[in-house]
Amino acid sequence: MPAPAASPSDAQLILAVLEREDRRAFGLLVERHQSQVRTVLRRLTKGDVALADDLAQETFVLAWRNLRKFRFEAKFSTWLYRIAFNTWQSEARKKHEVLLDVDEDAPPPGLEMTTQMPDVVARVDLERAMEILSDGERAAITACFYADLSHEEAAEALGMPLGTVKTHILRARAKLKARLEKGKP
Amino acid sequence: MNDIDRILRDDARIVLPDEGFAARVMATLPARPRTKPWLHSALVFGSALLGCVLAVAFAPAGASLLQGFADLAQLQARTPGALLAIAFCGALLASAVVLAIESD
Repeated sequence: MPAPAASPSDAQLILAVLEREDRRAFGLLVERHQSQVRTVLRRLTKGDVALADDLAQETFVLAWRNLRKFRFEAKFSTWLYRIAFNTWQSEARKKHEVLLDVDEDAPPPGLEMTTQMPDVVARVDLERAMEILSDGERAAITACFYADLSHEEAAEALGMPLGTVKTHILRARAKLKARLEKGKP
Repeated sequence: MNDIDRILRDDARIVLPDEGFAARVMATLPARPRTKPWLHSALVFGSALLGCVLAVAFAPAGASLLQGFADLAQLQARTPGALLAIAFCGALLASAVVLAIESD
């Protein structure tokens, strides 16, 4: 019995799209990355599932249109996340000014994460906790933890200084910790 | 790694079921712009060539391209023909540089 063929890499699928207009190859890319892109956008939109899916759809359509601009130096997922962040920022700007700067009035983090958190935290708790974060904090946390970008990549993708990303991450962690611990029985 | 990091990473690892999402995306994909790879190059090169032909056609009397190359061979760069030859080669070189940069 022949061994099952290994699934094609992202790069192979992208080349198939570019060279042969292979829609099925792009479909495989969508199936492969849809979960992460939609999760990232759900976190960015504070759990608005419908809006997140609309933005995710827009993200993949933009990726399809601009695939020729993809340089194979970066991971395809990183490139997709950048499009997703831009799409979210454009959408958010339509509704209100997105504030990605550091909120100087916010209390400084100053909290070390030494306290053990409960092992199981309901996703709904985390979603609610994420809602208290500022736009910038939520974007930084989503970029670094959900999109798995480095601080440098997150700074580039979000168009904010590296120091701001680090500050956002620190403050967001402190806020999340405080919020989740408050909800403990 | 502290617990907040772990909670966030665990949450990020949860796989969302497709639920028809990929099919919806595929149904809305527009036709990709069909650009033939050689067309752009042909346009740049053709424009440069057309410019050269017009330059030759409207060159002052006595400015022949062949005479220009002959003048250049004799290190005479200030004759009308030599200037025409330099402009001709410059236009072709510029188009080659544009194509080389864009194909990078």
